Amino acid sequence: MLPIVVIAESVGSKLTPSTLEICHVASMIADSLDQDWLILINDAAKNEAGFIAPRVISYALADGECHAPDMHASIAAEIVASSQLVMMAATSTGKDVLGRVAQLLSVSLVQDCTGFEMDGDRLLLKREMLGGKVLANVKINSCPQLVSFRPRSFPTTSPLRQVPVIESYTGKSFDLRTSVDLRKTTRSTRPDVTEASIVVSGGRGLQGPENWYLLENFLDVLGPDATLACSRPVSDEGWRPHHEHVGQTGRTIAPDVYIAVGISGATQHIAGIAGSKYILAINKDPDAPIFRIADYGIVGDLFEVVPALTNAIRGK
Amino acid sequence: MNIAVCVKQTPDTESKPILSPDHRQISDEGIVWIINPHDESAIEVAIGLRDQLGGLVTLISVGPNQVESALRQGLAMGADEAIQLHCSEMPIDQKMTAEVLAEKIRSLGCELVLTGEVAIDGCGSQVPQRLGVLLDCPCVTGVEELSIDSGQFTARQPVEQGDKIHAGSLPSVIGINRRIMEPRYPSFKGIMKAKRKAIHKEEVLLNSADLLIESLMLTPKKSGGKVVEYQEGTAEEVVKYLQTHTTVF
Repeated sequence: MLPIVVIAESVGSKLTPSTLEICHVASMIADSLDQDWLILINDAAKNEAGFIAPRVISYALADGECHAPDMHASIAAEIVASSQLVMMAATSTGKDVLGRVAQLLSVSLVQDCTGFEMDGDRLLLKREMLGGKVLANVKINSCPQLVSFRPRSFPTTSPLRQVPVIESYTGKSFDLRTSVDLRKTTRSTRPDVTEASIVVSGGRGLQGPENWYLLENFLDVLGPDATLACSRPVSDEGWRPHHEHVGQTGRTIAPDVYIAVGISGATQHIAGIAGSKYILAINKDPDAPIFRIADYGIVGDLFEVVPALTNAIRGK
Repeated sequence: MNIAVCVKQTPDTESKPILSPDHRQISDEGIVWIINPHDESAIEVAIGLRDQLGGLVTLISVGPNQVESALRQGLAMGADEAIQLHCSEMPIDQKMTAEVLAEKIRSLGCELVLTGEVAIDGCGSQVPQRLGVLLDCPCVTGVEELSIDSGQFTARQPVEQGDKIHAGSLPSVIGINRRIMEPRYPSFKGIMKAKRKAIHKEEVLLNSADLLIESLMLTPKKSGGKVVEYQEGTAEEVVKYLQTHTTVF
């Protein structure tokens, strides 16, 4: 019996930051229920996992880094079938894989949760509906409980001082049904929008891609945990890449600070950023809807305000 | 090539939700219903493929009476047939939804199944993956680019580290993201034609106690923050404010 399992995502030999958050949740729950927890991970990152969890099960995948979600899910389903709780980060890959595991085990699944409370051995899961307009408390009655949590909802866990206990998966193997090739896009060295603690987001108010240098300069003074995002019209126009688009049909983010520059704040945009802990908005239109949800709003010309903020932070 | 498109009807983004008195459901009151935006793009993709490769586009929707209007709209866009899997309430557990959809799709014998990758109301993000398992065929979700050629597909799925390019053979299930393409508006002719089309209605029973909504609440409105007119000294003031009110400055 495996009580609590984290299905890990890794890049090279490292666990992803959102996986480390799920490990934090797992160790909290394991402590409160006085149970064991473990990480399920591909071979390449098993050593690091060994310093995080009391137990690790590692597996080798035909394609090395689990780019093929069906194979990843098939192996995970074999291992976690008799566990009590299975968790993953609600990343693109996490949601993809866990959806398959849920059907392979024929159980219910709740994706993209932002928090939880314990109710006996069940989780009372907190999540958003209708683009953040409604908050729901949901409970799964089937077993195992399958849950994904939105990145940046919890602190990350730190390594334990221990000798790693790593087992290798020796069960059934699966054939690749599709070929999957990961093209790493040439992205900046900055964190992904879902992982950054400060997100500076540009809208149509910037007037064109040539003006993004303003935001780049701003980022430089905000430090390595800051990254760029954009509104839908900006990515539709091709001013910025799609992976920076936050909103209802783009990515959903929950940074510590969200800085909206020249974004009016349509409902569809708000749906993707409502989880931000603090919102600063800069817009020349005092009636822009973004000011209704901003903690701090500056009515002014962004071409004047952004450089002034950049200088003020540089000089702080 | 016959294509099935699974369509969910969702509240319009601008709708202001009202909760039922027991706080376990969202009331229908004041809700404007639309086709889930990702599904709407899936219909567009299906119509394009049909026009290019021949065959039929069949829409399938699970839900109460009102979903008929979503199916009507899809027919007006140019879909050939529509099936309503009628049940008294919109199912909460996507396991149930996927199971009844899969059963119907099996009886249709399609080469391609399209759905939106996620519905904007419940954000379950799991129906395409479940359909792939249930229909025992390849599945790719979150797809922003799709090409089909002689029984083979290539699909691009953006993930955190880049783009995954999946290739495989049909039949398969593809979960579409809205960004793949903007859907067309139904033409007047399309709307008139859709009015005369029959929607095949079948009863399905969906009762599961595996997933329960314990309670719902409306997200508390943020009390209006501070809004200032930009002037000399504002930037320094804002930085000071950020330093005292957030942990990252």
